[in-house]
Amino acid sequence: MSAVAYARPQRGEPAAQPQRIEIVTTRAQRRARPKSFYAVLAVSAVFALFLAQLMLSIVLSDGAYQISALQVEQKQLSRTSQDLAESLDLLASPQSLAQRAEALGMVVGSSSPAFLRLADGALVGTPVAAVGTAGALGPDGGLVANSLLVPGAATLDPAATPETTGAPTLNPASTSVASSNGELPSPTTR
Amino acid sequence: MNNSRSTRRRLAATVLALVATVMLFSGRLIDIQVVRAAELNEQSLGKRSVAVPTYGVRGNITDANGVLLASSVDRYDITASPKVMHGLADPKNKKPIDAEAQIEDLAIATGETVEAITAALNADPESDFAYIHKLGTLEVLEAVRALKIPWVYYEVHPSRTYPNGAVAGNLVGFIGTDGPQAGMELDYDSCLAATNGSSTYEKSKDGVRLPGSTVTTKEPVDGGTLKLTINSDLQFYAQEQLATQAIKVGADWGTAMVVRVSDGHIMAAADYPSVDPNDVNGVPNTALGSLAFSTPYEPGSTFKPMTAAMAIDQGLATATTQVIAPGRIYFPNGQYIKDVWAHNDIHLTLAGVLMNSSNTGISKFSDMMSQQTRYDYFKAFGVGTKTGVGLFESAGSLPTIDKWDQFTNYTVAFGQGVSTTSAQMASIYQTLGNNGIKMPLTLVEGCTMPDGTVTSVPDATPTQVVSEYAADQTVAAMETIVSKGSLSRQLTIPGYRIAAKTGTAEVPENGGYGDQRIVSVAGMIPAENPQYVVIVTLGKPDIMKTSAASAAPFKNIMTQVIKTFRIEPSGVPAPDMPVTW
Repeated sequence: MSAVAYARPQRGEPAAQPQRIEIVTTRAQRRARPKSFYAVLAVSAVFALFLAQLMLSIVLSDGAYQISALQVEQKQLSRTSQDLAESLDLLASPQSLAQRAEALGMVVGSSSPAFLRLADGALVGTPVAAVGTAGALGPDGGLVANSLLVPGAATLDPAATPETTGAPTLNPASTSVASSNGELPSPTTR
Repeated sequence: MNNSRSTRRRLAATVLALVATVMLFSGRLIDIQVVRAAELNEQSLGKRSVAVPTYGVRGNITDANGVLLASSVDRYDITASPKVMHGLADPKNKKPIDAEAQIEDLAIATGETVEAITAALNADPESDFAYIHKLGTLEVLEAVRALKIPWVYYEVHPSRTYPNGAVAGNLVGFIGTDGPQAGMELDYDSCLAATNGSSTYEKSKDGVRLPGSTVTTKEPVDGGTLKLTINSDLQFYAQEQLATQAIKVGADWGTAMVVRVSDGHIMAAADYPSVDPNDVNGVPNTALGSLAFSTPYEPGSTFKPMTAAMAIDQGLATATTQVIAPGRIYFPNGQYIKDVWAHNDIHLTLAGVLMNSSNTGISKFSDMMSQQTRYDYFKAFGVGTKTGVGLFESAGSLPTIDKWDQFTNYTVAFGQGVSTTSAQMASIYQTLGNNGIKMPLTLVEGCTMPDGTVTSVPDATPTQVVSEYAADQTVAAMETIVSKGSLSRQLTIPGYRIAAKTGTAEVPENGGYGDQRIVSVAGMIPAENPQYVVIVTLGKPDIMKTSAASAAPFKNIMTQVIKTFRIEPSGVPAPDMPVTW
């Protein structure tokens, strides 16, 4: 049974002025009412949880995008590294080295092998000067084919390659290797 | 009372409406979540998830020092969608793309002609896929991507490259459209082949992987690295020398092999002609394999040291045993065998027989042994049996004793009437140089799988074929060929003791022997304790039909062997061995 007191306006009596009716709560009722603080706390906690979940999922998706971007970058870099390794292997091939060596004017050593023993500086074998025109590649540019090498591209063009610190630039077209009558100067050893 | 009834009615109506709505919704819910759940799940997953094959990488082939002979690389196929292109270029569009200009840019970037690209795009205008450029390098790919053409895409195409070109190309082999076709690529495919894996992930509308959704159903497994026994620099030099000489004397083919005596490892096996695996169409079909293993021929006089070793091993002779070598040996039916030069009876020791390469002389030593004995020795040396290296090798042919007529009985002693490959000959000389112990000829050191285990390690079982004394005496006798023989100047390297045997073999033609020759020189260094065997063979030279043709490349390759492996000069000269008496 509601304990709310309510007033009924008196019938037939002219109402001079409407009485202000105030509904008041009893003290017991007021005490029984749940504290608003707890309600605010509960609701804000729920909101905080929602917010937290939202932030987490934002960060997660952001992470997913970052991973995707990094994976793309990694793929690019590994492709570039593979391509460079391939170029390096090609430059290290015997055909490429022989072409560059001969472009520099180098010749194959003589048919009489001689060694310098580092332990005591002794000369082992009979050294004979190399013949000035003997190259590893014949006049037709080598008989062991390497179709990956572009013919004529063996000489390094300093304009095309980046400057390396300290390493001298190779420009075989302009500098000629000093040769004394086709004989290599023999080293003087003990 | 009216009010309460109407209130109750209104209440009841509202509740009824509510219940009806709830039932409708829950009915639909049950339908979706329970009844059609599986089907809808699958549909949505199919739209969201992507099954991606993850590729394993085919293993590399390297030489003994790790130099790459064959490696796996990525190439990129540039593709296009004609349908998309025609759609975008449609003049009815608000902003049609300038397809012609884009095709021109594409042509410059890929190196294809404008006509070729246009043809590819117009071949099937409704198709979603057409190849613009196949197997492009990274440079091409980046140039194409920089153009940002909306109807051009690309695919990764794993490919194979051979950075050293034709160096060891005959041994490494090559890959065709259906897989490996020849060489070690084919023989050791089980080592080199990779297994592809697959993984599934769910992607968002813009293609980003949904976090936590990657499921790897199968890990890819890379192939193992195959390590050969070859020294690639020596191989290059041998190929170059062989090709130069073969062209100079007009030979049809040639082989050059360097074998390490102590373990039978092949340091170089050169062929002429030889294939560059990057450009397989550059040589005739006959040159796609390795002639050193696949092509048998009658070896000729290089067989003689084997016969000498047999006789010494049987205790019937030493290097200084004396015989009289007649100019001809006649058979009852009038046939005869003779030497290359006409002579009367000459007094030769076994060393002298080898030095002069006397057919009649070696026949005298051959007569000291029974046919069965000689046949067993031939088999023990590996004649008529494959070396086991692979490469579509031939076993050659050694006729059984019942097929030896009186002629063959003698000719097998000096290498006619029997055929071998260069590899088998190299193995024979390896045995003679290794104190009579035959090591199986080996081209592969092993296959290293990605997890570190080493498989395919070849068999290394030694076999004593002749005694150490027999082998040493034979090598000592062979030294006279280099020190005193007719080719002494062409074969000598100052400061080094070399043992060698020359061979000028006749080639069977139409039931007899024609005037073609197969010339070879086989030898080892240093003679006092052999470390390396070198054997050079030239087939059917047009000019210089004697073994002098093979002498020059033999000496040059021998010199390179000295330099590569730092062989010290022999301290003392060869002891004087009597060749006549």
